[in-house]
Amino acid sequence: MRRSRSDARRSIVRRAPVSVVIALAILVAVAVATAFAPWIVPDATAQDLMLGITGPGPGHPLGTDDLGRDVLELLVAGARTAVPGALCVAAGSMLIGNLVGLPAGYLGGWVDALAMRWADLVFSLPALLVAIVVAGVLGGGYGLAIAVLVVLFAPTDTRVVRGAVLEQRHRPYVEAAQLKNLSAWRIMTRHVWPNIAPVALANVFLNFAFALVSLASLSFLGLGVPAGSPDWGRTLSDNRTQFLANPWTVIAPGLAIIATAAALNIVGDWLYERVDRRGRAR
Amino acid sequence: MASRAEGPVTGDPGARRPGGDGSGTGRSAAGRTGTTGGGLGGVGVEGLAVRQPATGRTLLSEVSFEVAPGESVAIVGESGSGKSLTVRAMLGLLPRGLEAAGRVDIDGVRVDDDPRARARQRGGVVSLLMQDPFTLLNPLRRVGRQIADGLPRGADATIEVPRLLAEVGLPGDVAGRYPFQLSGGMRQRVGLAAALAGGPRVLVADEPTTALDATTQREVLALVRRIQRERDMAFVLITHDLRLAFSTCDRVVVMYAGRIMEVGGAAAVRDEQLHPYTRALLAAEPPADRRLAVIPAVPGSVPAHDAVADRCAFVERCSLAVAECRAARPVPVAVRPGRESACLRAVELPAQPAPAPGVTPPAPVTAAPVLQVRDLRRTFAGASRPALAGVSLSIAPGEVVGVVGESGSGKTTLARCVAGLERPDAGTILLGDADCSDYGALSRTAVRQARRTAQMIFQDPYSTLNPARTIGAALAEALRADGRPAASGDVAGLLESVGLNRDMAGMRPAGLSGGERQRVAIARAIAGEPRLLICDEPVSALDVSVQAQILSLLAELRERLSMAMLFITHDLAVVRQIADRLYVLEAGRCVETGPAEQVLDTPAHPYTRALLASVPDGSPGWLG
Repeated sequence: MRRSRSDARRSIVRRAPVSVVIALAILVAVAVATAFAPWIVPDATAQDLMLGITGPGPGHPLGTDDLGRDVLELLVAGARTAVPGALCVAAGSMLIGNLVGLPAGYLGGWVDALAMRWADLVFSLPALLVAIVVAGVLGGGYGLAIAVLVVLFAPTDTRVVRGAVLEQRHRPYVEAAQLKNLSAWRIMTRHVWPNIAPVALANVFLNFAFALVSLASLSFLGLGVPAGSPDWGRTLSDNRTQFLANPWTVIAPGLAIIATAAALNIVGDWLYERVDRRGRAR
Repeated sequence: MASRAEGPVTGDPGARRPGGDGSGTGRSAAGRTGTTGGGLGGVGVEGLAVRQPATGRTLLSEVSFEVAPGESVAIVGESGSGKSLTVRAMLGLLPRGLEAAGRVDIDGVRVDDDPRARARQRGGVVSLLMQDPFTLLNPLRRVGRQIADGLPRGADATIEVPRLLAEVGLPGDVAGRYPFQLSGGMRQRVGLAAALAGGPRVLVADEPTTALDATTQREVLALVRRIQRERDMAFVLITHDLRLAFSTCDRVVVMYAGRIMEVGGAAAVRDEQLHPYTRALLAAEPPADRRLAVIPAVPGSVPAHDAVADRCAFVERCSLAVAECRAARPVPVAVRPGRESACLRAVELPAQPAPAPGVTPPAPVTAAPVLQVRDLRRTFAGASRPALAGVSLSIAPGEVVGVVGESGSGKTTLARCVAGLERPDAGTILLGDADCSDYGALSRTAVRQARRTAQMIFQDPYSTLNPARTIGAALAEALRADGRPAASGDVAGLLESVGLNRDMAGMRPAGLSGGERQRVAIARAIAGEPRLLICDEPVSALDVSVQAQILSLLAELRERLSMAMLFITHDLAVVRQIADRLYVLEAGRCVETGPAEQVLDTPAHPYTRALLASVPDGSPGWLG
């Protein structure tokens, strides 16, 4: 049984398109870096001021920054700051999106009106600008940046979930459940939600990528992690004046952000199609 | 070939002119010799097979038939029989991932190995009339321009479009209208005009009237038939309705599980079927003129082509099967001139049993009604007329009451109001003694009581079950909701009570056929043994053989649970089999009511008579 299942899983990966395999490989590498950075690169932040900034060379495949820190090691250590934050944003906003969107779509009426006006309100604000102002006024910090992004992202998830619920709302199976006098909560959670979960899942991936970039932007502006910390956005920001001395100090973290975001979107789309098709066909 | 050079508009003026009844044949015969040149016209299909290379499956094989110029042939089969695939392969319109093999000649040209010949023919020599008139037209373009798209190069649209519209019986000003301004029947006429624009020699219609109301269906089919004769086109009709095929076409090809079962002239096959499948299919179609004691259902469902590759496809469901039927795969052979059958025992089939006599429905019950509806009214926002304009009805305990009408007659709104899924604007609904006119104003216990009294089954078997939940979970939940403790044996018992295997509890709906899903939906509805079951077109989405199974199941459950039913349908033949009393709805009003046999045998209202006349009876005169 176990064996056949792992065989099946292997054949799924083998059948996946090349782009998905590459994206999966990138994500695995990022995940490993996130989980084990302190053991892989224990002294990533160790400075070597005597060395200063150098280009790629022996011992330092991507060179060093102006404090003499190895860029590759910084990149690995940076994943530990960049990825969990984005994960928190994506998960948090999806949680709120489901909690608000499900009743808004299913119950309609004033619940829906209230939720949608809240969404409209947040939509009408320039997201990143609000994040900058709030983080600036309250003194910045990584936790605050995450919290602000969750609030700003949640309306999108709410709308996505609500839209999906509206589509299911008048299907006969929902009406049959109503005729069985099941409670609204039970119909929402046990009947409607499993059928919209693929959409919610796909949105988590999209948000994750977007949150990664947004957090990097905030860090780049100095409103996320403190200066000098190993974080992709922060590293990019700290070294932008050093571009000519060692371009990799800027290109490498930028590439890490882009590659992770793109890989997440590719895997998310692929996963959505698989989950969605399974619900329909099997 | 010659047909292309001539151009259909100038090439055959006689056949194109509308209203040229009677004398059309001679002229168009002349036109035919012009278009076909030396070769054979019409359609020839030989050894057609469709495969799916990705999975290695074969979907249909050894399909051969021909359609002479001017001849009409119906390809008849249930869903899964491969009738649509056959025609799509014939026209080179297979969906991605499918491959066709075999020889196809259209209008004297071999096209199966020549994509360019196909491209040349499409829209010119061959035309396809699609199923759904509501999606075949572009909603943003005026009708006239869409018809003009199909005209051959150089034709004058200002002359040709009005002429085509007149040919399909529409006034010329329709050309300036948008599709949403037309009714379903008018749209299908426009679709026909567009299909005729290129002056086709071969017209293929894929279930052209299934989306239309019964009375409109008859008009559109009569029109197609008349034009086909006038223009002397070869005509291929795909349909699931054997009687409709008999009435519309010269010959019928009966398909099953991706193979041909029987071929013959319409009248000959109607009088004597040389394959048990055709017999079963015809027997399962309920008659409109009498009520049968038992509708002869065919057990099981259509198998996949590959599952029966080495034997007779129908053997598992055939009551006449012998050992040889499983030993080899029979091919259609000529039993007598013009008649082919793929049954090994075609010549020794027992004589057909005489048509079963009708039975009288049970005497009316005179107990306190389980449902009473008084003067129910409902108008939807933005609608021009009310969906329900004062409908009253009552149902006695254990009585089956049919509500018939075409789409827009308000019958579904009525059912949904009774079930509490829709709130009526005015009027009273009494379930037992409880006033359920407005479910929103009822207390929780009252709603619970109402839900236990009345349950509902829906039309579409594919969305009536939650795709994310197993059958067992859905039924266990239904049992609990109806206050019955869901012991492990209860779900199994419920499954068996609707004729399903208890092992199905672990399956998800996607693994079930349409008939099985509808059985599960019925099981869910009757879990709490309601006193009233509301059935909203419960069999109209099902195949004929499965429809008979479900009707038998409903009749049996009614006996066993002494359950009353509100049976909503557009099909008078179906309602005849199950209903004790009838209400005929037209545009939100009840125009006729009475015992089912009285309403159907001696209809008083013209609308009822029109509905009755629109039920296909299989005779060639049905289209008028």
